[in-house]
Amino acid sequence: MASSNRLRRIGKELADIQGDTASRIKAEPANGGSDLGHLHASFPGPPETPYEGGTYVVDVILPNEYPFKPPQMKFKTKLWHPNVSSQTGAICLDTLGTAWSPVLTIKSALLSLQSLLSTPEPKDPQDAEVASMLMKNPDQFQRVAREWAIKYANAPKSTQWETNIAHSPTNSRPKPQKNISREEQMRLEAARYQGYNKDLIDRFVNMGFDIDRVVEAFIFVNIDKNNGEDYELEEAYMGDITARLLGEP
Amino acid sequence: MKVRIKKWNAVATWRWDIPDDDVCGICQVHFDGTCPTCKYPGDDCSLLSGKCGHNFHMHCIVEWIKQESSKGQCPMCRQKFEWTDNPALNAPAIVAG
Repeated sequence: MASSNRLRRIGKELADIQGDTASRIKAEPANGGSDLGHLHASFPGPPETPYEGGTYVVDVILPNEYPFKPPQMKFKTKLWHPNVSSQTGAICLDTLGTAWSPVLTIKSALLSLQSLLSTPEPKDPQDAEVASMLMKNPDQFQRVAREWAIKYANAPKSTQWETNIAHSPTNSRPKPQKNISREEQMRLEAARYQGYNKDLIDRFVNMGFDIDRVVEAFIFVNIDKNNGEDYELEEAYMGDITARLLGEP
Repeated sequence: MKVRIKKWNAVATWRWDIPDDDVCGICQVHFDGTCPTCKYPGDDCSLLSGKCGHNFHMHCIVEWIKQESSKGQCPMCRQKFEWTDNPALNAPAIVAG
């Protein structure tokens, strides 16, 4: 019974999305199937952002309890944004979690995602690396976000965004470019691990933390370097490292 | 001319005493229809009106309030959802037709 309600509502929502061509939001059952519980949706990247001209595809799973539980959304299109994992497409947005309300819809959630692209929030990151780049080096962030939009989201190479950026005085000034060799680069990279095994550190980096912060946490918790060899950490240590990374006491 | 009424049948329709185009925000079904779990609109599938002024099918809002994630809040305005005993809403308005 509960699931037929859910299907009825999802059906209505899809009809509404298909009837509204102005928003350029699309949604349909995934893989051309008839399962209304799994959709593929897409929306255009917002104008005047690095995502302009791109098309962002989102995987949408509607749980059995929908609309009492939020739709599970993640990006299928890779994008460079502090609140979206650059690895998995996982999204950090309160309306898709604790702030969900059953009067919200698939369309309103997609509009929230579109608006999230215009207003990145690096202080509540899903991807720590992207967030730290946005805070420390906004120009570089814009550049990478644009490159990814062209590479993954099919954004044209030239849009209004490029024209504006190219003409804005802060971005057109030449930047000091250090030419460092590949060996030098690798040496610098190795130095960041401070004697710890790369794979060992990268298991935390892959969760979205910055290399330097992970290494700092390892040193703080006093983790054995094991002569740079990889090894299995005890659970208690894992907990201490995670707590340190998340800034818990 | 005089007409003597020998027999008459009264016919009436009813609708909830709320704006015409209102749908329940939870199930997205028009208030004159039932919530998705019921077959017949009316007293068995009544509406509930919050003190905040937001209306829902009773079955829909109760289902939401049962969820821990609702925190007892109105889905529209996130104020604490408390219902009123507004008689205009709890009893359908009869419109003669």
